[in-house]
Amino acid sequence: MNLTRDRVRSIGWAFVLSVCFALTMALTFRVNAEKSQVRLAERQIVALKREKLFLETEFQTRANQQQLRALNDIEFGYAAPTAGQYLAGERQLAAFGKPAGPGAPAPIRVASAAAEEIAPFPALVSPITGQAMAAEVKGGSARKLVNASGLKDHLAELHPAVVLQ
Amino acid sequence: MNAASITATIAPGRRQLVNVRQQLLLTAKWRVMWVLILFAAITFGALLRIALLGVLQPAGTDLSLTDPLLPPRGDIVDRHGVPLARAFPAYSLWFNPKAMGDGGPPLVKTPAEIAAGLVRIFPDEDAGRLAAQLASGQPGYLRRRILPEEANRVHALGEPALESPFENERLYPQGTMAAHVLGFVGADGHGRVGMEQVFDERLTDPLSRGTPSMLSLDARVQGALEDELRKGMLDTKAKGAGGIVLDVDSGEVLALASLPSFNPNLIDRSGAVNIFNRMTNQVYELGSTFKPITIAAAIDAGVITDMARRYQSDRPLAIGGFQIRDSHSLGASLNIPEALMHSSNIVTAQVADELGAARLNATMRSLGMNERPYIELPAKGFPLWPRGQWSRITTMTVSYGHGIAVTPLHLASAYAAMVNGGIWRPATLMKLEPGHAPTGRRVFKASTSARMRQLLRMIVADGTGRKADALGFRVGGKTGSAEKPGAGGYRRSSLVATFAAAFPMDRPRYVIITMLDEPQGTVATSGQRTAAWNAAPIVGKVVPRIGPLLGVMPDTSRDIDISDLSPLVGHADGQ
Repeated sequence: MNLTRDRVRSIGWAFVLSVCFALTMALTFRVNAEKSQVRLAERQIVALKREKLFLETEFQTRANQQQLRALNDIEFGYAAPTAGQYLAGERQLAAFGKPAGPGAPAPIRVASAAAEEIAPFPALVSPITGQAMAAEVKGGSARKLVNASGLKDHLAELHPAVVLQ
Repeated sequence: MNAASITATIAPGRRQLVNVRQQLLLTAKWRVMWVLILFAAITFGALLRIALLGVLQPAGTDLSLTDPLLPPRGDIVDRHGVPLARAFPAYSLWFNPKAMGDGGPPLVKTPAEIAAGLVRIFPDEDAGRLAAQLASGQPGYLRRRILPEEANRVHALGEPALESPFENERLYPQGTMAAHVLGFVGADGHGRVGMEQVFDERLTDPLSRGTPSMLSLDARVQGALEDELRKGMLDTKAKGAGGIVLDVDSGEVLALASLPSFNPNLIDRSGAVNIFNRMTNQVYELGSTFKPITIAAAIDAGVITDMARRYQSDRPLAIGGFQIRDSHSLGASLNIPEALMHSSNIVTAQVADELGAARLNATMRSLGMNERPYIELPAKGFPLWPRGQWSRITTMTVSYGHGIAVTPLHLASAYAAMVNGGIWRPATLMKLEPGHAPTGRRVFKASTSARMRQLLRMIVADGTGRKADALGFRVGGKTGSAEKPGAGGYRRSSLVATFAAAFPMDRPRYVIITMLDEPQGTVATSGQRTAAWNAAPIVGKVVPRIGPLLGVMPDTSRDIDISDLSPLVGHADGQ
């Protein structure tokens, strides 16, 4: 076979052309595959949006004003707040945190039972005899029995002098 | 047999063999060739198919989500976007006898068995009717609307002939709420009665139905108003009730209720009788709620210049054979604030007499009392308007709301004009953008409006409207208890009790009208039938519920200044 320069060139062109064609085809395939994916996704979105509408409507219907009113009438009995429950602005809100002025009525204190005093506990107790082996804790004021049932009681106990010890 | 004869016999046989072999080879080659061609054709075909799929497949030029999501009928929402009516794809139950497709019997089991199975799913159905329909072999709906779980259970019956196709239904998630404003959609797919009818074209046009149609209603306000009206109606054993909340500056209707209501999701015979809208379609003689309008017209015309001027109030006015009297004696004389606070017909009639027919007529006309109310709803009642030149007695009766019958919506628009500085604007159910309120027309001077605010506030603070005085909301308003006309005059026992109010009076934002049709005296109203005992307390309960929602906060430290009028008022019943 006699391969002249012209023949090689035309074979080369044909090769380049076929490569380009193959690439174009590959790209087209890819684009169309992506488009199909997008369509699929859109179909899914439409289906989901429909479902959302369905659920949203069901929720609205079940939670409509009349249902909520019936629930409130039976279960909660909430009423519209009265004028006294509104604050006019930040100034009125801030007034709640103001320290009491001279001559102001004393704040209402919550009654609480007096804490019982217990004997100071020794530093070391023999595990065998159960007798005290060392002197009592030095300087320990009588510890108070903590019988806290709520946060209020804890706060009452936290006196600065006690905390420092 | 010799050798020569053998050779002779072999030679022609070998030649034949070679021929056979060549022929066989040729045939084989041809066969291979055919197979090759076949394979090549298949390959080519496959490649062509791939190329077609890859290049020519319609990749969906309409890559738009709007089309499949476009509702078959547009939604209607309130001013905050809460859906009040929406298109909803719901399942229905359809009997398709041809579902099997083999020309045989349409059902697997007997109609009676299937009917029994359906009744287990839908206990309210009639087994006999279902069985008859299934046995008839005619396609048709077995049930118009079923739930998804019910559709699953119907599928579990295993009958291909029972289909559950999607149907586009109109759903009103709030049930009966605002039913008179919304209306409903008929079987032909067109709207009826309310905004469904008004918006019909817009709701069905593919170009516009994608965006919801927004109303001026506020679902929360509507709910609160209907709630309290319903309670009031039951407490007083009234035949019906109605209410309006109107924005005084723009004419937007925030709530419009007419009770008893109907369920637009299901129009049946019991609901159909309640479709009539009491607020826009029924005209009533609204009684004493007209007195402030008369007084405002007189102040505006310069007839009343002195609030302290006293009018006689102990003798009935005898005009042309009629007698105008008060419900009970209010003392020898009353001034204007006292006349309004105690609702004196005699004093109002005297004021109207001084004002004259022409001027009262002109004021009523400019408030739109002689034409149908301005609102989008299709059903609007025409007022019973005294025609021609008003006689003296007509002028006097109109001044306290008798002899003229208008819709409660007329009254709401008139009160809005009276308190907003004197501008009358048409009511609308469309949400208006801020600053796009209609210009309206001036009916009263701003000074008259300011005076009327004081007077209306005094009626609630210390007059017949005391039960409407929601603490901190500065309510002002006027009661009206009108006897209904019947055969041979007015019927003393059947009243229309109305309370027309506005709040907050130091800068009025909303008008609220409540009305009870034929309320009875009950324990809840201390045996009274008049508006002070039934319609006014409803306003007193509605306002604290809707005020904060509408941006009106209760404030006991503010009120309209009535210090120039309060010395004129004795704190006893008349003087």
